[in-house]
Amino acid sequence: MSAVVHAHPQSGPVLGVTGTGKPNRALSDAGLRGRWWRFALILAITAVVLVPIMVTVVLAVTPGPTSTSTGFTLENFGSVFSQTLASTWLQNSLITTLSTVVVSVAVAAPAGYVLSRGRSKAVSGYSLLLFVMQSLPIITSVVPLFILFAGMGLVDNLMGLTIIYVGSTMTVATWMMAAYFDSIPISLEEASWIDGCSVFGSFTKVVLRNSLPGVLSTAIFAFLLAWNDYLVAIVFLRSTEIFTLPMGVQSFFQQNQTDWTSVMALAVIMMLPPIIVFAALNKYFSVGGIGGSLAGR
Amino acid sequence: MALTTAQTGLSRARRGVAPGGSGKPAKPANRKSKLSSQTRKTFFWLLLPSVVLLVLIHGYPLAYAGVQATHNGSLIDTGEFVGLENFANVLASDAFWKAARFTLLFTIVGVFGSWLMGLGLALLLRTKIPAGGVFKVLLLLPWVVPIVVSSTAWNWLLGTPDSLIPSMFRNLGLGTPLFLADPTLAAITVMVFKVWISFPFMMMMTSAALASVDTTVYEAASMDGASRWQQFSQITLPLIARSTYISWILMTIFCVNDFPTIYLLTGGGPVDATTSLVVLAYRTVFQDFQTGPGVAIAFLMTITLVVVSVILYRQIRKSSVE
Amino acid sequence: MTIKSSVTSTAFSRRGFLGFAAAAASAPLLAACGGGSASQSGGSGVIKFWDMPWATPAYNDAAKKIAEGYAPASGNLKASYQTIQWNNFYQTFSSAIASKTGPAVSTGGGFQAFQFEQQGQIAYADKVVEELKKNGQFDDFLPGVLEPFKSDKGYVAVPWQLDMRVFWYRKSLFEKAGVDVPTDWASLLEAGKKLKTIGAFGFATGSGAGNNIGNHSMIMMMVNNGGGVFTPSGELDVMNDRNVEAIEFLLEMVSNGIIDPAAVSYTTDNLNAQWKDSKAAFGPYVLGVPARVGDTSGDIVVASPIAGPHGDKAGLVFPNNIMMYTNTPSQASSEAFLVAYMGQLKQLWQQKLMNALPVFKSITELPEFSSDPNNVKIVKEWQPIAKTFAAQGNSLNANLAVLDGGQALNQFTQTVLTGKTDAKSALQAFQSGLQSVLKK
Repeated sequence: MSAVVHAHPQSGPVLGVTGTGKPNRALSDAGLRGRWWRFALILAITAVVLVPIMVTVVLAVTPGPTSTSTGFTLENFGSVFSQTLASTWLQNSLITTLSTVVVSVAVAAPAGYVLSRGRSKAVSGYSLLLFVMQSLPIITSVVPLFILFAGMGLVDNLMGLTIIYVGSTMTVATWMMAAYFDSIPISLEEASWIDGCSVFGSFTKVVLRNSLPGVLSTAIFAFLLAWNDYLVAIVFLRSTEIFTLPMGVQSFFQQNQTDWTSVMALAVIMMLPPIIVFAALNKYFSVGGIGGSLAGR
Repeated sequence: MALTTAQTGLSRARRGVAPGGSGKPAKPANRKSKLSSQTRKTFFWLLLPSVVLLVLIHGYPLAYAGVQATHNGSLIDTGEFVGLENFANVLASDAFWKAARFTLLFTIVGVFGSWLMGLGLALLLRTKIPAGGVFKVLLLLPWVVPIVVSSTAWNWLLGTPDSLIPSMFRNLGLGTPLFLADPTLAAITVMVFKVWISFPFMMMMTSAALASVDTTVYEAASMDGASRWQQFSQITLPLIARSTYISWILMTIFCVNDFPTIYLLTGGGPVDATTSLVVLAYRTVFQDFQTGPGVAIAFLMTITLVVVSVILYRQIRKSSVE
Repeated sequence: MTIKSSVTSTAFSRRGFLGFAAAAASAPLLAACGGGSASQSGGSGVIKFWDMPWATPAYNDAAKKIAEGYAPASGNLKASYQTIQWNNFYQTFSSAIASKTGPAVSTGGGFQAFQFEQQGQIAYADKVVEELKKNGQFDDFLPGVLEPFKSDKGYVAVPWQLDMRVFWYRKSLFEKAGVDVPTDWASLLEAGKKLKTIGAFGFATGSGAGNNIGNHSMIMMMVNNGGGVFTPSGELDVMNDRNVEAIEFLLEMVSNGIIDPAAVSYTTDNLNAQWKDSKAAFGPYVLGVPARVGDTSGDIVVASPIAGPHGDKAGLVFPNNIMMYTNTPSQASSEAFLVAYMGQLKQLWQQKLMNALPVFKSITELPEFSSDPNNVKIVKEWQPIAKTFAAQGNSLNANLAVLDGGQALNQFTQTVLTGKTDAKSALQAFQSGLQSVLKK
């Protein structure tokens, strides 16, 4: 389906958009002027929206209180990497987040498939249960989880953290995958069953292979949740050398005092991987990201 | 994951899926009949990891919280069983209802504010715009920045009378609004902050949903003389309804359960003008050390959230059946 | 794009993605396991000491060196050092203690020891105090520092630094306004009015997200007037006349614009900025304000205590302390470590790492400490008259944690700072808020 959708011109007549009623008039004068008006509009909106982020970036490249240089500087990044364990934290964050993403999808995709295809009472009950159970705010879950995990030796440990992230992303992820699978006609599987595929075989070979947008949007969801969390990490992690980046940010907060230049430098470092991911996957989203996977078809 | 290439199967899959882009959900008949015992067994194994995780990460803390909410203990000791006393006390307190009202308002503004903004931007970005992809990525940033950092940036922009935004108001002769110190303004500020954080998510959801809408329907509609608004309200919105409902549900959960956004920007103040139920639960458990009542608040909140989710969930089912 | 090319390109990407996923799945998880086991160093054969980020990271490095450099006498265990972040620290300690993975010895929140004592988790420090008597450090304590920790069952913890709230002022602003530094409340009010004419605030405070200076300002003014939240025997006593008077005075400063109308939402950063930008002329704050706000011109200095309308003078002190827990591999080792650690505290002040007063006279006499006249003034003028949060009571208890961090005081403070109340009804609401959460 992606191919078909992608093949369409993107200038469909939609609300609030001045310009053409027909796609192929996009290059007419009016259309061209419309394009630049829209460009100006989006530029203005983006500029306003990004002011708080510019503040962050500006501070990250402003010399710190003990610095001798003036104007623009990259020394904050240098000092964050040389004087703290930032590179280790970055690595830990990447490990935890990527593991979360992979395991989360690996758990959610099969479960989502069952929720999509199995229409028994038990299955739809489970679908609702997934939702109910994850509604408890994380702040009340952290202490019991810590006690449970301490018994298993999984505290102050990236694996324990990953398991919790997988657990907390898994519910929504399962739902997202189920919604995506709903959009894949079951006739495909039926055909593969006739070809001799098992149920599992047709799931992996036919359904999953056609679900890249669904998988990617689920992955993005899990990525952001795990990447930005600090409420769980702050209770579960102790040792500086296994901090994740948000915990590293926390470590610059002393009693009534904060090392803001380091915080901002680390924050900018923290922003980069999600930006790279988004930029790299942008084209997949245009053919059905999270919403597309959930869109009614 | 198997990687065997079944070109024929794949191309068949492609052909089969492609028309679905604008069609109705696949609703094969007799799905049940396919559930042989073999299938059931497979389904069981496919579901198992998720069940284990659900019980471990969500079930256990929920049960634990259930014990805490019906006892008078601390985080360390269970204490004595007090039945529903904590719930009764919480329901009788003004603070709870005030927080509940704020949570409701915060959620409504958060969900619809971010949805409208996300929808608007998604519609705009769907048209041909120079460097549209760049804007798409840039506009996702508010969602990506750690909240510890963005709340600080917002505080710098409007925390004191000399901050950038109050100064701008002053220079325009509009007085010096105290965005975080005035209870009403603080409530508005927190909601705007939440919308700022959340709109990229909505934008992404809506963009993707729009991308799946077959544009040929518009051509047909405009030939029939439908106005732009009619096209939008009668074609676009219904076509993305399912995605919209789901994004509303997710955002409702994100808003109701949101702790850092409020806590880091205002701490729930001034007085309790921005105290939501989660913030109240947090402060009751970890600052007043009233574990039972605090967890009871979280429970009551969860129950409400579930009810709302189920209602919206029904809507989705309806919208996908139609 | 044609359908065909689209299929091939997504197929290619998909394979790439899956390959990447498989690699990512296996490698990091293994690494995660390794990373975890390496960090389980705080096992049974060592005294786990947990410390907070009391100052810059250099402080924690120095404290770590002391703890890890500790060479126990034979038979006793060595110590390990761990920094715990302030954010959600109570959650961190509680969950660790509940799961028996907590520390044997720790610093922490000011009243944390009393909370955990109430729950039977604290090992009393009587033997440590005895050792301190033997080695002479007991006599070295500044006056009145140890007494608040004595309970019926023994010493709940041992103080190691004093977090003071004292008045600071910016000299140049007073010169510019042509007014003397206040010596009592009446002159504070007058000075405040004059300072307002030059755009400065005569009572700088703040109670925004995470800032407790505002809360402390309220209690400080109460004790400054001979009031306080408790009676000497520890009963709740919010509505006494001295408190009412103090709050009326604060409300008067609010209505006169001597307290910044935006102060209610000021974080510590906002408050620091007020001091740095010469907006704050006078107000309560912690030690080391000049360094904290980045103004080392010598313009910001400690004021002398000021007298309330009845002639009372007092400041506020939070005696930060080190506690021992019942869950330890060896209580004797915990005690031996704590005694040794107390003996090394002077290093921290010698290296000028601390933002607090030491508890030992000998440290206050170190040149590294006494070279700062502000420090000397605090030791001489403020420490002797400093009261704890328990005022008028003398001993500390778990209720103070609820008072310090709880919602009742914070709401009370914010109500007063917004000025939309009268003293009695604000105190009344404060009292009923406290009554509902305090343990009898």
